[in-house]
Amino acid sequence: MRNLTNQLLLFKKYIHELNSFRAVIQSRCYSRPTSFPDYFQNPIFRKEDQLKLIENNELSKLASVPIKPPAVYETSSVYHDPLVNKVINHVMEEGKKKLARSLVEKAFENIKRIQIERYHLATTPEQKSKIVLNPKEILHTAIENCKPLLQLTPIKRGGITYQVPGPITEKRSLFLAIKWLLEAANEKERTVHFPEQFAWELLDAANNTGKVVKRKQDLHRQCEANRAYAHYRWQ
Amino acid sequence: MSNVIKFSFKHIIPLSRCSYVRTKSTCLLNIKGYSSKAATTDSDVFDNFTDWETLSKTKKISKAMRAYLERAKEHDEFMKKQQFEFSIGKRHLANMMGEDPETFTQKDVDRAIEYLFPSGIYDPAARPLMKPPEEVFPARKAAEFDEAGRPHHFLFYTGKPNFFKLLYDAAENIQFLYKFEDKVIRKKETPYPNQNLDLSNTVWFTKDQLEQHLVEKLTDLEYENFKLVMERLISLPYSYQFKDFIEKFRKTLTSQKFALEIPKPNFDEDGRAYVTTYECLRKKARGDVTIRSPGTGKIIINGKDITYFEDTQSREQVIFPLIFTGMQNKVDVECNIEGGGPSGQSGAIRWGIAWGLRSFVDKNMLEAMQVAGLLTRDHRRRERKKPGQPGARKKPTWKRR
Repeated sequence: MRNLTNQLLLFKKYIHELNSFRAVIQSRCYSRPTSFPDYFQNPIFRKEDQLKLIENNELSKLASVPIKPPAVYETSSVYHDPLVNKVINHVMEEGKKKLARSLVEKAFENIKRIQIERYHLATTPEQKSKIVLNPKEILHTAIENCKPLLQLTPIKRGGITYQVPGPITEKRSLFLAIKWLLEAANEKERTVHFPEQFAWELLDAANNTGKVVKRKQDLHRQCEANRAYAHYRWQ
Repeated sequence: MSNVIKFSFKHIIPLSRCSYVRTKSTCLLNIKGYSSKAATTDSDVFDNFTDWETLSKTKKISKAMRAYLERAKEHDEFMKKQQFEFSIGKRHLANMMGEDPETFTQKDVDRAIEYLFPSGIYDPAARPLMKPPEEVFPARKAAEFDEAGRPHHFLFYTGKPNFFKLLYDAAENIQFLYKFEDKVIRKKETPYPNQNLDLSNTVWFTKDQLEQHLVEKLTDLEYENFKLVMERLISLPYSYQFKDFIEKFRKTLTSQKFALEIPKPNFDEDGRAYVTTYECLRKKARGDVTIRSPGTGKIIINGKDITYFEDTQSREQVIFPLIFTGMQNKVDVECNIEGGGPSGQSGAIRWGIAWGLRSFVDKNMLEAMQVAGLLTRDHRRRERKKPGQPGARKKPTWKRR
């Protein structure tokens, strides 16, 4: 008997739950927007950036504003580097990010191997201290060394197109540096793999030698040669 | 949009004989036929004008005024009828839903309509609704001209007096601020540093809101102009002087709820505190995340450890909130997740962990998590493909013929 009443109670409970559940089902999953409205601020998630905010006492002020979530490729981990991310995106073809990332990481591994070999071959402590072992540091110096300071823009005056030198924006110079590095890395024999060649190019560029630095210097030289046309930028 | 169907209450109740469907287009026609415009907000305009027609004893009502009075009367009657119908309809609806008609609010009405007319139509504006007539039929302006037919407002003949008055005021304010700045520079005074405009948690009215505020229809170009002028105004260094004017056209954003309603952790049989977050969504993935404290940093995803995800990026995403809060060795995480791919699943888990960790971190860390965007739900979904083009945004290649 008790069993039966228990069951009845359970049944009643079940019906009640069903009713409340129906109310939930009623709210359908309508289509959501595909982007955030423009008043959403960009997130600040890297530890060093956040420390700056805490120093300036802006943290609580920013916390009251809606903020976008960080993208899938961003983390606050110490291994995360925006520049490396940029390079990975430039290496990527047809959206195959996993492959691109593995290629860049393989190149870093090659750099590390080469540098460690050099480190052990070096005899004196001064020579040893000069060798940079961190591949990310090498990437940063390599890109810094490849960035052009000037650019040539074709301007048509009197039916003749002149190559006119002018200043370059920070963004474009970064783009050109990465593009040139990758073009140099892809100019290889078929038997050589991309990570090996890319590692060599990065080491060369970090050392201020190699194809890419030469290309940059060529551009600078041409800008210097075309100095006479500079006034066409504003005339 | 023109085929949007508004269900009047009669449509909802099949018992009444005269059930009909009113379409929005007919409503609009009514409104167009009724073209009286802007009531002047400034009362001082009334005092200023001297009406020579009324002075010269021929107290004649102009044709425009007569037509307006007729239309106004018609409209009042119409609205009264709508009001009456709406209130009866609401009572019927309350009875149908078995609730008390006296305490039946608009919220209950919306819920009842959604229950009785479930609709999966894409555009929210096209779904059935039952709203008070004041919201369905847009507000109209009172007479803008006197009995002799002369307009009150000095910008009446622009067609949109309220809008152009707004632009005019904004431009005047800008001119004033320019002069003020010149004066300050000439006197070589330093600007007061602590007086500045904080507009971080407000946004400009959207076009619809502005239209409602001004009771005038605007074109996209006019709205752009409004934004341009106001942006220029707030970019000036002394714009705090017109704080009231600026804030009249800004809407406050809803306050963040991350610090509210933080759940108290429950305790399991081992005496460990745990918090479960249900409905962790991202793209097509959905699941739940349980956080146990104290723990040793064990992560279990669908019965496996973090190697459930094959790519590094997803693994990084899962441990992102743990690393950010420095709790990677202090809590255990257990999650069930289904649907979607690795990116969506890891994103859902990331949000779930961050949301659950609120119960175990202090207030400063909460603010830091909010600024890092970890507590924001990523509601973005795949955009639908459009007919006539190969993708959501992609257009077919241009061909001359």
